[in-house]
Amino acid sequence: MATVALSSFSRGVARYALVAALATVFALFAALAPGFLSGANLLSVLVNNFALLAIVAIAMTFAVSVGGIDLSVGTAIDFASFAFVSLVLAGQPVALAALGGLAGGALVGLFNAVLIAGIGISPFLATLGTLFVGRSVQQLLTNGGNPVYLPPAGVPEAFRFLGHGTLAGIPVPLAVTALVVAGAWLVLSRSRFGRVALATGIQASVVRYSGLRLPRITAATYILVSTIAAVVGLILTSTVTVYIPSSGNAFLLNAIGATFIGTTYDRHGRPNVPGTVLGVLLLGIVANGLLLSGLNFYWQQVGTGLLIFSVLAIGFANRKAAARA
Amino acid sequence: MAESGEAIIRLENIVKRFGGAQALSGASLAVARGSIHGLVGQNGAGKSTLIKLIAGLHRADGGAVEIDGKSYDRLTPHLAEELGIHFIHQDRLLVPTFTVGEALFLGREPRIPGTPFLDRAAMRRRSAEILERYFGVSLPHSALIAELSAAEKQIVQITRALIADPKVLVFDEPTAALVRREADLLFQLIRRLSAEGVTILYISHYLGEIVDLCDTVTVLRNGRDVATLPVAETSAAKIGALMVNRDIGELYPKSDVTPGEVILQVDDLVLAGRYEAVSFSLRRGEVLGLTGLVGSGAKEVVRTLFGLDRPTGGTVSVKGETVFSADPAAATERRLALVPEDRRSDGVALDLSVTENTTLASLGRFSHGLINRGAERRQTEDLVQRLQIKTDGVDALVKTLSGGNQQKVAIAKWLSRQSEIYLLDEPTVGVDIAAKVEIYRLIGELAERGAGVLVLSSDIEELLGVTDRLLVLFRGRVTRQFISSETSPDQVLADVTGAYETLLHAG
Repeated sequence: MATVALSSFSRGVARYALVAALATVFALFAALAPGFLSGANLLSVLVNNFALLAIVAIAMTFAVSVGGIDLSVGTAIDFASFAFVSLVLAGQPVALAALGGLAGGALVGLFNAVLIAGIGISPFLATLGTLFVGRSVQQLLTNGGNPVYLPPAGVPEAFRFLGHGTLAGIPVPLAVTALVVAGAWLVLSRSRFGRVALATGIQASVVRYSGLRLPRITAATYILVSTIAAVVGLILTSTVTVYIPSSGNAFLLNAIGATFIGTTYDRHGRPNVPGTVLGVLLLGIVANGLLLSGLNFYWQQVGTGLLIFSVLAIGFANRKAAARA
Repeated sequence: MAESGEAIIRLENIVKRFGGAQALSGASLAVARGSIHGLVGQNGAGKSTLIKLIAGLHRADGGAVEIDGKSYDRLTPHLAEELGIHFIHQDRLLVPTFTVGEALFLGREPRIPGTPFLDRAAMRRRSAEILERYFGVSLPHSALIAELSAAEKQIVQITRALIADPKVLVFDEPTAALVRREADLLFQLIRRLSAEGVTILYISHYLGEIVDLCDTVTVLRNGRDVATLPVAETSAAKIGALMVNRDIGELYPKSDVTPGEVILQVDDLVLAGRYEAVSFSLRRGEVLGLTGLVGSGAKEVVRTLFGLDRPTGGTVSVKGETVFSADPAAATERRLALVPEDRRSDGVALDLSVTENTTLASLGRFSHGLINRGAERRQTEDLVQRLQIKTDGVDALVKTLSGGNQQKVAIAKWLSRQSEIYLLDEPTVGVDIAAKVEIYRLIGELAERGAGVLVLSSDIEELLGVTDRLLVLFRGRVTRQFISSETSPDQVLADVTGAYETLLHAG
């Protein structure tokens, strides 16, 4: 009887290690970091530290779901951003330019899909290659990496809406993030596509032997990943009204970190949307809290690293204990 | 040669259990020094357990192991090699990314005397010498193992053993991956090694080979040695009869179903190099058996039907419509279902739940935009009940189920898909006897409901018990067709093992 109680207890701990870490970190900074609890600061955490990274991390969660990874999410962000800015500069309506931006990002996913599902290159190497190729292409397009500015006078008001507007009082980036999160959650945990994607990541051979078209599932996933990432390219460009080559890569490592932190939230350690969102929140709060505590940037990185280690360690140690019991 | 005296390997009353399963129950084996000793038995008779015991990979639960007159109660792989016992196994694989030279000397690389450095010159000299002397071939020392043919890989394995001056060479199904000519070369080599004083233990399904090659043969059945005979005094047919267990009870609850229309028609199907001119038809309500040794093409026929291999000729039609595409998705849409042999790799996803596995091939039925999880659950609960799957609930991960119950989940997946043609590849391998009977009953039930069932199995009694008709493949061709109820296991075994052919050649 004692072992039964213990095993269900450890399963609980495995699952809630992430929530506990979040609560602890939050309480810690509330006590130590001046101004952390202020409404203005918390909103800034959500808009500046959470929203965009959350979208990229959601994209990454799909790649990890099919058993892969996408190192070129930043490339998709950049291509979306470049296409968006270029189309607006060319005088196209903003809505059309935004669609063009999404298409620009999706193109990166299509390229990955051909490499991974078509040729059979491992996702890590294929998307690493895309990352390098994407960087060169951007340098070629911009005379060696010059930013492309929109002239301040010529920026249509609609262009700035994605980055600076509000919907019913909610900043648009946050609203878009909420939409992406909700949609991604439905797709990954409630739709046929999401189920098959997770099954592919867990045991691809069974998916094939069940009469499902494996290459098609993989290809669709990588295109979806890039398209979601492209949304970030649009918001980012709308916020700063400039396209800076290869700037999207800044999200990459945190997105991977958040996704894997998020897997500890699932009973079976699968990639999942709520876990990823909690992971992004955790990283965002730590970054903001350390900043307010007056620690310099380098210590922030150390703090983030330690946090990832400890959440993963607790999560996995407990799941192992639960599996043994 | 067999007369040359005392036993170099002697196993007495070996008992070995794996969990609840009794793999060996008092098996004995004595291999005379200098002889070529054959070891035969059906799948599950205990051959591989016995061999692994000699190799030091398993430890006996009871009985005595004597090598060269000395008794050992704890053999290890390293000790077995030191005693001069070496193993040539068809799929004891060499590291594919090693070069020939590296593979030959792995673990016992010669050093330049007095230094820690490998003596590459000595390695090259020694391997070239052995390759030339025994095989009359030279393999490029720096070629990768992955680039070699099956026969060349075997040469590397044998050479690796010969470098160590073996006293005993154990060949485990060595000809399974070889073509006829290569097999003949292997037999010449084995005879030559025997003449040089090496003792040979030879395990094979091909009774013809045993009769050609061996001095003595030991027959294993149900974990016990039932006979050890000088080959000169027996025949392939007699050995076959000894392998078959005759005293099996009412294991096969076979119900009588009148076959309906033809649901699957196969005409002159060819997969170059694997099988040729395979034709048969399968009716609704019929259970058709397919059997053959590894390399006979039986497995490949099943793979082709499910679209995993593309045939090079012939046609397959389902319900009168010819099927063109080699694609499991297309096969599934035609209501074909495959329960693959490697259940844990291809049949079920161990880290998905019972529900997720059951509905994986039929999610379309449960999703209209989003998955209707209630309907999905009800379907799974129905099937768990109907197939009597023992599980800790439909949300339990499949890896927590026993082998037999995992297999039932693999079948439930296709019942949920409402498949009509079931291809079952070795459906009862690795499941206990009670689960076997339940799977047999399930096969009968599928037929009663109007499905066509094709069972591929190397367990001949099982096949005769559950099927209506039985096709035998030998070296890529359908060599015989039997009506199951009018056939005895040894008749089939003679065809499966090619004993029939051997007799023809002899006569």
